[in-house]
Amino acid sequence: MLKIEDLHVSVEGKEILKGINLEIGKGEVHAIMGPNGSGKSTLSYILAGRDGYNITQGRVLFNGKDLLEMSVEERAWAGVFLAFQYPVEVPGVSNIYFLKAALNGIRKFNGLSELDAMDFIGMVKGKMKDLDMDEKFLYRAVNEGFSGGEKKRNEVLQMSVLEPTLCVLDETDSGLDIDALQIVAEGINRLRDPERSFVLITHYQRLLDYIKPDFVHVLAHGRVVKSGGPELALELEEQGYAWVDQKVAS
Amino acid sequence: MSVTQLPNEHYAALISADKSELPGHGLAWLNSLREKASNEFSDGGFPSPREEEWRYTNISPIEKSQFSLATKAGAVDADFLQGVLLDDCHHLVFVDGFYQADLSSVGELPEGVVVSAISSGLAEHEGLLKSLLDSVVATEVLGFINFNTALFTDGAVISIEENTKVDKPIQLAFISSEGADLSLSNCRNVIMAKASSKATVIETYNGVEGSCYLTNVVTEIVVEPNANLSHNRLQAESLKAYHMGGVYSRLDKNAIFSQYNYTFGAVLSRAEVHADLGEASDCTMDGLYIGMDHQHIDSHTRLNHEQPHAISNEFYKGIMGDRSRGVFQGRIIVAEDAQKTDAKMNNRNLLLSDHAEADTKPQLEIYADDVKCAHGVTVGQLDDTAIFYLRSRGADEEMAKNMLTFAFANEMVERIELQPLRIKVLEQLLKRFPQQGMKIEWL
Ligand SMILES: Nc1ncnc2c1ncn2[C@@H]1O[C@H](COP(=O)(O)OP(=O)(O)OP(=O)(O)O)[C@@H](O)[C@H]1O
Ligand SMILES: [Mg+2]
Repeated sequence: MLKIEDLHVSVEGKEILKGINLEIGKGEVHAIMGPNGSGKSTLSYILAGRDGYNITQGRVLFNGKDLLEMSVEERAWAGVFLAFQYPVEVPGVSNIYFLKAALNGIRKFNGLSELDAMDFIGMVKGKMKDLDMDEKFLYRAVNEGFSGGEKKRNEVLQMSVLEPTLCVLDETDSGLDIDALQIVAEGINRLRDPERSFVLITHYQRLLDYIKPDFVHVLAHGRVVKSGGPELALELEEQGYAWVDQKVAS
Repeated sequence: MSVTQLPNEHYAALISADKSELPGHGLAWLNSLREKASNEFSDGGFPSPREEEWRYTNISPIEKSQFSLATKAGAVDADFLQGVLLDDCHHLVFVDGFYQADLSSVGELPEGVVVSAISSGLAEHEGLLKSLLDSVVATEVLGFINFNTALFTDGAVISIEENTKVDKPIQLAFISSEGADLSLSNCRNVIMAKASSKATVIETYNGVEGSCYLTNVVTEIVVEPNANLSHNRLQAESLKAYHMGGVYSRLDKNAIFSQYNYTFGAVLSRAEVHADLGEASDCTMDGLYIGMDHQHIDSHTRLNHEQPHAISNEFYKGIMGDRSRGVFQGRIIVAEDAQKTDAKMNNRNLLLSDHAEADTKPQLEIYADDVKCAHGVTVGQLDDTAIFYLRSRGADEEMAKNMLTFAFANEMVERIELQPLRIKVLEQLLKRFPQQGMKIEWL
């Protein structure tokens, strides 16, 4: 589904990603862990198409197509979704209108007709219920004044409404209380599908207790320094990242 | 400082022409008022950009256009009228500066309330007109006002009886017909809200798209003790037209006055909104102006805090796209006696293009020492991060920008309590920033 080859990215002359290689197959769940500042969010923004980065080398293929050539919205239409580490507040745009505009954009691209307003609201309310979100959030401005946890839940709501095929979740577990973590994890698990892949960026094993990854990668200093199975996350939990640094040094 | 310049010959000729057709001809007091205004105009003409207050308003296209005086109302088609009239209001309709009884429907009014056109109601309401006309206007640069005083052909006389509430809004609809191309109209409105009364007045300005004309209008308002008046103005003139509008008001003790000013139309427009605040009065001034293409939109507000304990809240928002230019000049003057004044002024501008311009000029002149005055002004652009966020969810770039622009304006729309007016303002907004699949109840 996604193939990242030798990806080098710099910002203002400073190289942040220094040759990332990663391959994600259909239906797989990959966890990416790594110390603060190692480039995890940068990688997620590159996949979503954010401006301001200099891609100096490498390529990214999404279902065989050159992802880096596509505009931000084209990626969304093609099924890429990034749950932001810091979801953006959009004052004056209600959540419901935002969701409808987003979904219709995607449906239009896929040659589907606009969803009827009643059907749409019914569908969204159902998903909110699954995520234990109050319906009043529908009529509030997108993320404005939401608590940290509410914002994260809202990201997962958007994801479940838009039904992307590649879900990149950047620290969606950070800032969630224990109950919320479980609800959100269940929400994500409900979306698991042989046709849908996940990249979970996280600092904590506890998310992976709920969502079992097929692969775990350690990103440090802009490189994938180690890849393995779920046991790698446990190892990191015990030993921290010090040994990663030693490994990079040697 | 007063800078005089020779009045444009064309307009000087118009103002000195025969006035026997104007309403109230034969009333000595009105004749002398018109005469005085006419003489002052002959000396000073229209304001020059050398006047500090008119620095940003270049009216030379008006001088060059040599508009003629509209002499009668042209035809207005039914659909157009339908689009202008707000549901559930008392309506007075003026076309090309002349009251049209057959298009108007005042309907039932409470005892003692006057809602009339000057032309048809002068005999009956002369005293009222005489007491109000030219009584509130107070500004240094009188060019357009004098022009109006000397030549007004019609307008509304409104008086709300003491202790009386008029439930339905009163709409004054000013329409420029297709036949008004290259002509100008002068309407004058006077509004009196007597003690402890309550009413809402909405002025709307519309013209046939593509026609080029000048609307020069002045409204004078008195809000007596404990009265509550809401005054709204929706300017949606033809995009080729010129609009010079003034609202001058006086608030007596404990009066509440809310002025809402929505500007969408005209290639060049200026709205002057002034209020003199009496003791413990409460004045709100809200505004939204949106310029596209080459539009130039001026909003000039003045809050004269003359007495203690008055409150004023001013919030104007502007959106400038293409090569348009918006000017906000907000003056707050707090006199020495106006202790415990609480005045807030806020102006936020959104620039949508590199060629658009927003000038914002708050002016606070405070002569009292125990007052609270706050002001904030900004000129900004759409937030790139928010655009990225919306696009990453599947809104295309144009849609994302439209959503955010709409959202910026919608903050003002949400404050409109009158549903029919709110819908009209929304229509103007949606025409400029289409929102696919938007439901009004989601706003
Ligand atoms: N626009 C930018 N300008 C300058 N430096 C940047 C910019 N964006 C990212 N960086 C730097 O790149 C490095 C990687 O940042 P990134 O946000 O990708 O880290 P991360 O792995 O997501 O960290 P965390 O775990 O704290 O979220 C950091 O050192 C950061 O300061
Ligand atoms: Mg990060």
